[in-house]
Amino acid sequence: MRTVIARRLLALIPMLLGITFLAMLLMSLAPGDFLDQVRMQRDADPDYIERLEREFGLDNPWYVRYFLWLKNVLPWDLRSDFGYSFHYKVDVWELLGQRLPATIILSLTSLTFAWIIAIPLGVLAAIYKDSIFDRVSSILAYAALSIPEFFLALLALFFAARTGLFPLGGFTSTEYEFMSPIRRLFDIAHHLVLPTIVVGIGSIASIMRIMRANFIDNIRSEYVTTARAKGVPEGIVMFRHVFRNAINPLITAAGFAFSTVLSGALMVEIVMNYPGIGHLVFHALLQQDQFVVLGALVMGSTMLIMGNLLADLLLAWNDPRIRYD
Amino acid sequence: MRDIRFSKVFRIGFAGLAVFFCACGSEIESEGREEHPLPEGVDVVERPPGVAGDIFTGTSAGTPATFNPLVAEDATSSDAIQRLLSGLTRFDPVKDEVVPSLAESWEISEDGRSFTFHLRRGVRWSDGEPFTADDVIFTFDAIYDERYPNRMQMEFSVGGEPFEVEKIDDYTVRITTAEIYAPFLLYIGTAILPKHKLYEAYENGTLLRAWTISTASRTPREIVGTGPFRIRSFRPAQRMIYEPNPHYWRADQEGRRLPYVDFFIERFVQDQNATMVAFASGQSDHQAITPDQVAWIRRNAELHDYTVSDRGPSTSTSFIWFNQNPGSNENGTPFVEPHKLKWFTDQRFRQAISYGIDRQGLIDGVIFGRGEPLWSSISPANRQWHNPDVKQYPYDPERARELLEAAGFERRADGNLYDAEGNRVTFSIITNEDNRLRANMATVFMENMKDLGIEVRLRLLDFSNFVNRIMESFNYEAGLLGFTGGRDPHGGMSIYSSGGRLHVWHPNQPEPATDWEARIDELMQMQLRTLDEDERREYFNEVQRIMSEQMPLIYLITPNIYEGLRNRWNNIDPPNMGSLIWNLDEIWAEKRLLR
Repeated sequence: MRTVIARRLLALIPMLLGITFLAMLLMSLAPGDFLDQVRMQRDADPDYIERLEREFGLDNPWYVRYFLWLKNVLPWDLRSDFGYSFHYKVDVWELLGQRLPATIILSLTSLTFAWIIAIPLGVLAAIYKDSIFDRVSSILAYAALSIPEFFLALLALFFAARTGLFPLGGFTSTEYEFMSPIRRLFDIAHHLVLPTIVVGIGSIASIMRIMRANFIDNIRSEYVTTARAKGVPEGIVMFRHVFRNAINPLITAAGFAFSTVLSGALMVEIVMNYPGIGHLVFHALLQQDQFVVLGALVMGSTMLIMGNLLADLLLAWNDPRIRYD
Repeated sequence: MRDIRFSKVFRIGFAGLAVFFCACGSEIESEGREEHPLPEGVDVVERPPGVAGDIFTGTSAGTPATFNPLVAEDATSSDAIQRLLSGLTRFDPVKDEVVPSLAESWEISEDGRSFTFHLRRGVRWSDGEPFTADDVIFTFDAIYDERYPNRMQMEFSVGGEPFEVEKIDDYTVRITTAEIYAPFLLYIGTAILPKHKLYEAYENGTLLRAWTISTASRTPREIVGTGPFRIRSFRPAQRMIYEPNPHYWRADQEGRRLPYVDFFIERFVQDQNATMVAFASGQSDHQAITPDQVAWIRRNAELHDYTVSDRGPSTSTSFIWFNQNPGSNENGTPFVEPHKLKWFTDQRFRQAISYGIDRQGLIDGVIFGRGEPLWSSISPANRQWHNPDVKQYPYDPERARELLEAAGFERRADGNLYDAEGNRVTFSIITNEDNRLRANMATVFMENMKDLGIEVRLRLLDFSNFVNRIMESFNYEAGLLGFTGGRDPHGGMSIYSSGGRLHVWHPNQPEPATDWEARIDELMQMQLRTLDEDERREYFNEVQRIMSEQMPLIYLITPNIYEGLRNRWNNIDPPNMGSLIWNLDEIWAEKRLLR
């Protein structure tokens, strides 16, 4: 087990190098740089622009900048420096850290929401295969899969505006700062309802379909026939035997889902004015604020690897047949 | 029947949920203010006294990037800094003149180069520390420090020489310029920094990384100022709450310290459209409104008790220009094909194009008639510097054809225009795609040119690519661009002078290429070297006249500015240029609004 973990973590190193190198290359292929906005200001002095270029290292070719960045990132003296944002003049980790809580909360609530709804629906659809319930739920699932998230977000905002039941986007209300801690909690929960549903709906459909297919596969397998023949009650067959086998692929899927916890629901964050990471990275990319983009990539890819690792460990825990040696 | 019942249950369920979650009807209560005696040198405002209290809410498209005046590049950050810090002087947009701020008065020496500022006595920073001449000296030390590149370094030097700043005593500072510097008093109103807070960062070389958004969100009280407000809390991408600075140095005639409002709340939203929606749905007190949104926002005026006022032409300009750069790239290919360069450098060609543009059509088609044609580099909004007597080019295709004929162009039977050597007249025009207004103007322009037999192709580029072409590779034929106008002509130095970066039609010339460009260079230097406003205006009027005759930039239109404001605010004094709420510290609310 330990070697598996060590191997995965080692594999992280070449991957991160590759991803960041590629990202830097792509960003340098895009025309212009962070200082374009300054260049178009009529009272910006050429000397000043030149000095900023030097200060930001933008006078070097991209590969030199990449290696300079790498040199700072590698923990020679036991600390790594991921650089700072050109736009905010704030350390990259700190900047990402400010936006992290909002994104993590939304990801967790929407994942939980999706699982709580999707797994029972998937199981029911499998048990009552070909019934009206199964048909209706699959039509709805396909419909949910094909609605783009941003459109759903717009619909949600429209709903909020028409009924006034929910806030029009955002994470907290204006009065938040003046509230008691308990009220603050309710305030955040109130703001989370719509984004959670919007982000969650897409995954409900896919999780439900996976769950249904696996469940049906397992119902047809021989151990089920054996168990039924032994006279094991149907409920125990379904939930102790079939369910545990059928949920395996979903645990892997959860590993991937964990990686999207941080990359976040970019479109939803932007449409619903939700102050998360996606919001920040999107603007950093537009402004060519390189180190913020690189930092976010490093964080996102690390989470992906960690998520997969976690999923594999969970899988071993759930299914004793799986061993990592 | 069943359906109805279901929806009823559904609705009640949701409503219950909502009540449970928000327990609405809450209102932000005043927290009571710290009481401190007014400073000896208090500034008593002229406008009638009002009632303290209430909240002013605004919405902004974008979060401040920093609270450090040495770093700020964007308008959102500068606006925030202005609320937190004061300068020695400030510009009163109603009186159209520079008025005292932290400096109570000043004297100008005989030779016009030396300014002695007398600071207000007894002023304190928002943390209670006294404000003295040392803070002023510190600010200028920081600005001129080699380690901290910032844009003020250029504004605060003349002929490459920095100002000489000396402390006479604790409340007197003398600033001397190497030569006479016309916009001195306007520029000198830069934010003064607190030495006691920032000296350490200044010493250890981290001044540019001080006072970031992290400082504001974690320790807002560390950002110490002499402005009307201090930060109560800041949440990136969400909102910022300002509260009154308890040591602010302005008071009303009844001796009440300003500002009147208990809180100023600024919410950050995704884009400009969202700000206008927030205003039209009664969520904010004030909003600048673009011409295309005026009509529907006015419809809600009664419901939310606001007024949308027409503030006249804006200061922003828009223009088309031709690339007149005669150079070549490193492969020896000329930037502009030689026969086209010949057209573009011909004054008659440019004038003909200008006569061929239907500016009223542009205004009607692009901004719903809410704008004015532009004939000069300075918009009519800037009454102080706009020259109304420049050459104008009302829409006159006949006149355009005559001019083209005089310049050797010929309209053939196929309806197209050809030059004397038989080349068909076509060119491409570039602009940035993220500016919808510009793309629309370019489309109308193409149609106008078709009437003259000229084929124009439009290329929309992303911003970076656009900047690269007009400032580095020079690989384009014509462009469409605009600038937001500054107040003083000195801000346009890089546009007018032939060596300037934004002298877009032919930038960075070592020597002026034409006589008229040489004359403009000379006039721009002359206007800079006198403190006599009328004399400056005379020089600058001539610059505008030459520009309008030579047409290196073919000015198009300027949209009108609209601003919405809730009716309950008092002491609003609309300036002819700039925001309605420029005096945020003096405005107060008539009655409390029931939410």
